Amino acid sequence: MPVYVLKRLAQAVPIMIGVAIVVFVTMKLIPGDPVAALLGPNSTPQSRHDLSQRLGLDQPLPIQFLNWFVSALHGDLGTSISLQRPAGSLVLASFLNTLVLLGAALLLALIGGIVLGVLAALHPQSALGRIVRGFTLFTISIPQYTVALLLLLLAVETGILPTGGMTTTGQSGPGTVLLHLILPAVAASITPMGGIARMFASSLSEVLHQDFVTSYRARGLASTAVLRHAIHGSVPALLTITGLQISYLLGGTLFIEVIFAWPGLGQLVYQAVSARDYPLVQAGVLVSALVLVLVNVVVDSAHAGFDPRVRA
Amino acid sequence: MSADTITRVVASPLPVRRARPRVRWGAETVAGVVIVGGLLLVALLAPLIAPSSPTSGDVSRRLFDLGTAGSPLGTDGQGRDILSRLIWGARPALIGGVTPVLIAGVIGATLGMVAGLAPRFGRSAIMRTLDVLYAFPAILLAVAIGAALGPGVTNSVVSLAVVLIAPVARVAEAEVLRVRSADFIDVARASGATRAIIAVRQVLPNIAPALIVYCTSLIGLAIVYSAGMSFLGLGVAPPNPDWGQMLNDLRQFIYDRPLLALVPAAAILLASVGFNLLGDGLKRQLDVRDGEVLL
Amino acid sequence: MTARLRVRDLSVSFTRGERVVDAVRGVDLDVAAGRTLVLLGESGSGKSVTANAILRLYGRSARLGGAVELDGRNLLGLPASEMRRLRGRVVSMVPQDPSAALDPLRRVGDQIVEVLGLWGMARSRGAARRIAAEQLERVGIAEPERVLRSLPFELSGGMRQRIAIAIAVACEPQVLIADEPTTALDVTVQAQVLDLFSELQRANDMSIVMVTHDVGVARMVGHDIAVMYAGRIVERGPMEQVLSAPRHPYTAGLLEALPTPGVPRGSLRAIPGRPPGPGEELAVDACAFAARCRSAVAACWTHRPPLHTVGSDHDAACDVIDEPIRISFPTLERTEVA
Repeated sequence: MPVYVLKRLAQAVPIMIGVAIVVFVTMKLIPGDPVAALLGPNSTPQSRHDLSQRLGLDQPLPIQFLNWFVSALHGDLGTSISLQRPAGSLVLASFLNTLVLLGAALLLALIGGIVLGVLAALHPQSALGRIVRGFTLFTISIPQYTVALLLLLLAVETGILPTGGMTTTGQSGPGTVLLHLILPAVAASITPMGGIARMFASSLSEVLHQDFVTSYRARGLASTAVLRHAIHGSVPALLTITGLQISYLLGGTLFIEVIFAWPGLGQLVYQAVSARDYPLVQAGVLVSALVLVLVNVVVDSAHAGFDPRVRA
Repeated sequence: MSADTITRVVASPLPVRRARPRVRWGAETVAGVVIVGGLLLVALLAPLIAPSSPTSGDVSRRLFDLGTAGSPLGTDGQGRDILSRLIWGARPALIGGVTPVLIAGVIGATLGMVAGLAPRFGRSAIMRTLDVLYAFPAILLAVAIGAALGPGVTNSVVSLAVVLIAPVARVAEAEVLRVRSADFIDVARASGATRAIIAVRQVLPNIAPALIVYCTSLIGLAIVYSAGMSFLGLGVAPPNPDWGQMLNDLRQFIYDRPLLALVPAAAILLASVGFNLLGDGLKRQLDVRDGEVLL
Repeated sequence: MTARLRVRDLSVSFTRGERVVDAVRGVDLDVAAGRTLVLLGESGSGKSVTANAILRLYGRSARLGGAVELDGRNLLGLPASEMRRLRGRVVSMVPQDPSAALDPLRRVGDQIVEVLGLWGMARSRGAARRIAAEQLERVGIAEPERVLRSLPFELSGGMRQRIAIAIAVACEPQVLIADEPTTALDVTVQAQVLDLFSELQRANDMSIVMVTHDVGVARMVGHDIAVMYAGRIVERGPMEQVLSAPRHPYTAGLLEALPTPGVPRGSLRAIPGRPPGPGEELAVDACAFAARCRSAVAACWTHRPPLHTVGSDHDAACDVIDEPIRISFPTLERTEVA
């Protein structure tokens, strides 16, 4: 098993390099001359040339990439144009807040998804099964920002829960954060919950039709024990879908944070996009992608832990 | 039989792997067709059915609520009729949904087929490269590309297409691998048919159903994403109407006119549900699932 | 014969959506202690459904009619919890596909220990593991400890089948149902597994119901045979008698179509047409085999012959044949391969 984890980590390295290359390429897609943009319309050719040299923009592309990549490894992800601070530290600080939100949303999505999935798998034809299936179809179709808006609406109308931010001014500590966390976490969890429920129901249903389940029954095992084993057999598939949903959550957090004014990476990127602050946008996307690669290594390792056939 | 006969016989497309039972139109498929069809109609007939101009508004009539006479879905911050904007917004919604999937579908399917039929090394190379794109959360990659390219429908479509290539290619490759092990492929190869012929005449018809189902659902997703891009200011530029942009626009009024923002939200949701239902319905027609689960 | 297991008028119907499919109709079987009954038939004949129905493995999607009596007790009438207690301990099953019979994600040892505890055969985990090792040895597995620690995919098909058999006989059940236990195995392993069945039967006086489509296998292990077609029994009786002097055209057809040593190559005769599929509608008042039968007459299309006695303990469901059918093989016909 440790061998497998190391193998996966080794496989992840070229992907992470690839991610960096893609982000670098998108930076280079920006139309127009960045130097002219930085110095304004009244700059002289000489000053432009000097700045260009200073920024290393006259080097061939691969060299530029290496320079940028090496700096990034040292934590230097450029400077935010709009905020005039190192992009790296901005991203890191906001990412921690996003992690809190993501963690809560994932937990909710998993619990809800598994429960709904089991219900749907066990009662496919009944009214309950149909309701669950309808619900999951609805939830995977509804965009996260719509769910967020609906919940925001609810909060505004009823005034029960706070409608924005991470803390209420004047208060601090986990209590108020938790209160503010509820709405965005629920909003973020709905769509993944539907996705997980569907896949889990489908996988569990498939497992339940497999011969070994009939074997278990033929040996006289009680229904609860059989179900337990079947769920155990579906965990690998659950892990796969969870990996996908984490990717979706990381993206969706952009909208959730914007709508609920949660001070995370998503909101940072949004503000950066609005301000045309490209270095910050790229830094945010880069960090998100790298984290996602590592998360996938963890998920794959857990998958191999459950299903040893994968390791072969 | 001469070699010529064999080639002709073998090169003719063999039946799709599952013999289709008589077409069973489930309620879901019908609903999906109705919604998608309705959407198409609305988009096509926008100039005829929109009650007023989507781009010019009367500021003295701003922020009317739902159900106001003359503007049944209310007016936005600049006094523009929301219903008209909604109707006209169907066009960028469909374009933003279908075009990227079409582009990604063609490119992704080709890549997937090439990868699936290629020898081990080539397949690994292609799929690992695509894995890099897969490593990004989809929206973030689209935002990164879109932010770099700048706002506008074309840029948004391009960004989304790039993001969707990898998923389609994966599905295509998996299907090709599944079909590749089928006997009739070996027969074709044994008869000397070139790989290109095999690809087009044998493999393609057999992977097409799964791809079509997948892409149909992907359209639903693309509509949501493209609305999301506009929400972030990266898609359709104002004052042209777009559902995502309307959503962002109207959410600032959520304290005074909370229900207005729900209108474009509902439209996006409906479009997405419609395509998902259609995809599900198509899938049901190609899949047979047995009934009761035994415990 | 005093039967330990008596099946009377068993019928199994499935509901698929709005359709009702009759998979098994009016099946009567008797199995005595220490004897093996072979259920012979092609795919779709209903033999596996019969086997599963005896164990009541179907849920609400199936309607069971008739009775399945084990030592006088009707299994079909028992409450579900009672039936569950019988499964594995009194009546057990060796499933068809050894690769699929074991949970692929759990070690073999864990799976065996689990049922030993369930059946009350061991008080502690340690005792259970010891007994598990013994059971594996009993079925001819040489290194039981290693196998117990293994995952199913690490073992060969023959090994997995032995494990499945070990689990099925660990509690010394009265009736063992084996559903095509050798189909998925190599020929060399087949013989070993069949020998194993005979051994276990001798040791415990176990009754075996063996489902198969292979006449060769049937001959090797069966004392009695029941031939199924389209959900019904068309002929039954002592093995050698039925196979050497069949009284139903289908049985004769099977014997002529299946490869047997001594029969010249190229002289097999296939039964024309195909057996009805599991869901096919069949005419109520006709013999199901009529369309494919060499000996069919007009009456076969208007009247379904019931099973009636044609010899000692030998029944057949055909009104046309009134003496043993002689199995004949047509002369070799040469076909040019172009």
